[in-house]
Order: sequence, then structure tokens, then C-alpha cells
Amino acid sequence: MVEVDNRVPLDWDALEVGEVFEKFEYVLTQQMIDEYRRGVMDPEAAFPTISHKVDVRQFNAKYSDNGSVNARCAFHCYNSPVPGKRLTVTAWVADKYLRRGKNYIVTEAVSVDEDGRLIDRVITHELKQPWEVGKKWEG
Amino acid sequence: MGGIVRSYSEGDAVAPLVKEMTQEAINLFEGSAGQSGPSQFTDEEAARETLGTSGTVASGRMSISFALEMMRRHFGSDVFNHTGTVDLRFLRPVRPGDTITFAGEVTGTSREANGQKVNVKIEAQNQRGDTTAVGTGSAIVPNAFFPPEE
Repeated sequence: MVEVDNRVPLDWDALEVGEVFEKFEYVLTQQMIDEYRRGVMDPEAAFPTISHKVDVRQFNAKYSDNGSVNARCAFHCYNSPVPGKRLTVTAWVADKYLRRGKNYIVTEAVSVDEDGRLIDRVITHELKQPWEVGKKWEG
Repeated sequence: MGGIVRSYSEGDAVAPLVKEMTQEAINLFEGSAGQSGPSQFTDEEAARETLGTSGTVASGRMSISFALEMMRRHFGSDVFNHTGTVDLRFLRPVRPGDTITFAGEVTGTSREANGQKVNVKIEAQNQRGDTTAVGTGSAIVPNAFFPPEE
């Protein structure tokens, strides 16, 4: 079966700072936490939410582009998530900028659990010309 | 919380954290969020097509995770998991086989409404001494953890 791609091609100039995406919900399972902790080699790692990339998930669900590379990321800890709880993520376009001829998009997201506990905030600057990585470091 | 007196001064070193990056670790990190399809992190062909690199790279979010661990160990989970921040710029790719060392240094403190904010500069280097990420972190330590002011 062929999957239909309903995403909108990204128009960086037209993208509006402040655009808020549809809320995203998921349940963080103990298995997800265990895998994350093995991946980062830290049995006490408290914020497996970082691997879910929730700040760009809804952006990528709406827009199609040539991919991206993470240029900067900030993470704010409020309360570690509890396994089995449903998390609700609100994400938005926080900023965009052009630097040295390259386009960046800044997304931000806040996660809250089903009890209303604030979990974390993540802010990511994505370079929208990912091939620059290969050009710079392999050229 | 409480009972332990802590002290933070400008110039204090944060104990370094060393991580051996493997493809297995990258796959676990990506898989933990249910991302099972090929990507620049898990598949060499996808990395070549998207990034133009000869192999996979680790997500910058793995470096964020390592910086969070270093900071949590320094401040304690009771403080850091509620008030901690990390902000990194990624300067070079981290690849499977790399050994990454995270180091930090306290750059100062400031009073906040809910305690004292301790600021830390963070740097990550690979086994060749190349800087892979730089940035800052912070934690707000409750005043109850500091010695009484005279």
C-alpha cells in the first residue's frame, strides 16, 4: 500500500513565527525509559522525553523539506516524567533566522503530564540545509 | 530536600563525564522513541543522502542527555531534575567510535526568587581534542542548601 504524503512543502519565507501545532499526546512507557537509559548509558537518566523529539514532531508532520540538522538545543527540567502517564506536548515555531546564507528554524515545546505536572521544555535550532554537515566535515 | 549544605563558587570544576559512542547506543536512543525507520542516525545510506557524510552521526540530543547527566551528578537530582537547564551548540558531528568528554566550570551565581542560580559553562570534546559542542547549563539551588548569611 502506498502511503499518501499530505504534508505541505516548507516555504521558509512564509513560515510564521508563533505558529502553534496541533497538540501531540503519547504515553511514556517503562520500556521506552529503559531503552533510553541503555542508549545514553545512564541508569538514572530522568528525561527520556528528549529522545522523542517532540518539538519537531508536529512540524515534521505538517511540513515536508530536505531534512535538517540540529544546530543548537536547550532543555529545561521541571519534573521527571512518570512511566505510564500520558504526556501532552504543545509545540510552536519560536523563531527563524538566516545566518551566513543558511536557513534556521527554532521550534519550542512544553510537555505536561495527565496530572498537570510540567515536565520539560525543549528549544531546538534546526539548520534546514543538512548537507552542509558533509560539505564542512567531509569535503 | 534540605539538610545538606552546598557551596558553589566561580571557577569550580564540574566532574567530567566520558561517554563511548557506539552505533548500538545510537540505535537504542532512536528506538526508545519508537523511531524504527532508517535515518541519518541509524543508516549509513540515509546519512549519505541527507547529510553527505560517509557514516551515521549521533543526534545532538544524545549530547544534551550527557550534559544533563553531568549537571545532575554535580547538583544532585533533587535540585537539577526540577530546576536544571542545558543549552548546547553543536559544532562537529559525533560518530560511532568517538569518545566524548564533557566538562564544566561554574561561571557565577545570581539570586533568583526561588534560590541561587548557579551558571556553568560546558564543553564537549572528542578523543582527538576537537570540540563537538559548547554551551551553558544552570540550576537554581534553594537558599536552604547554602550556609546562613552573616
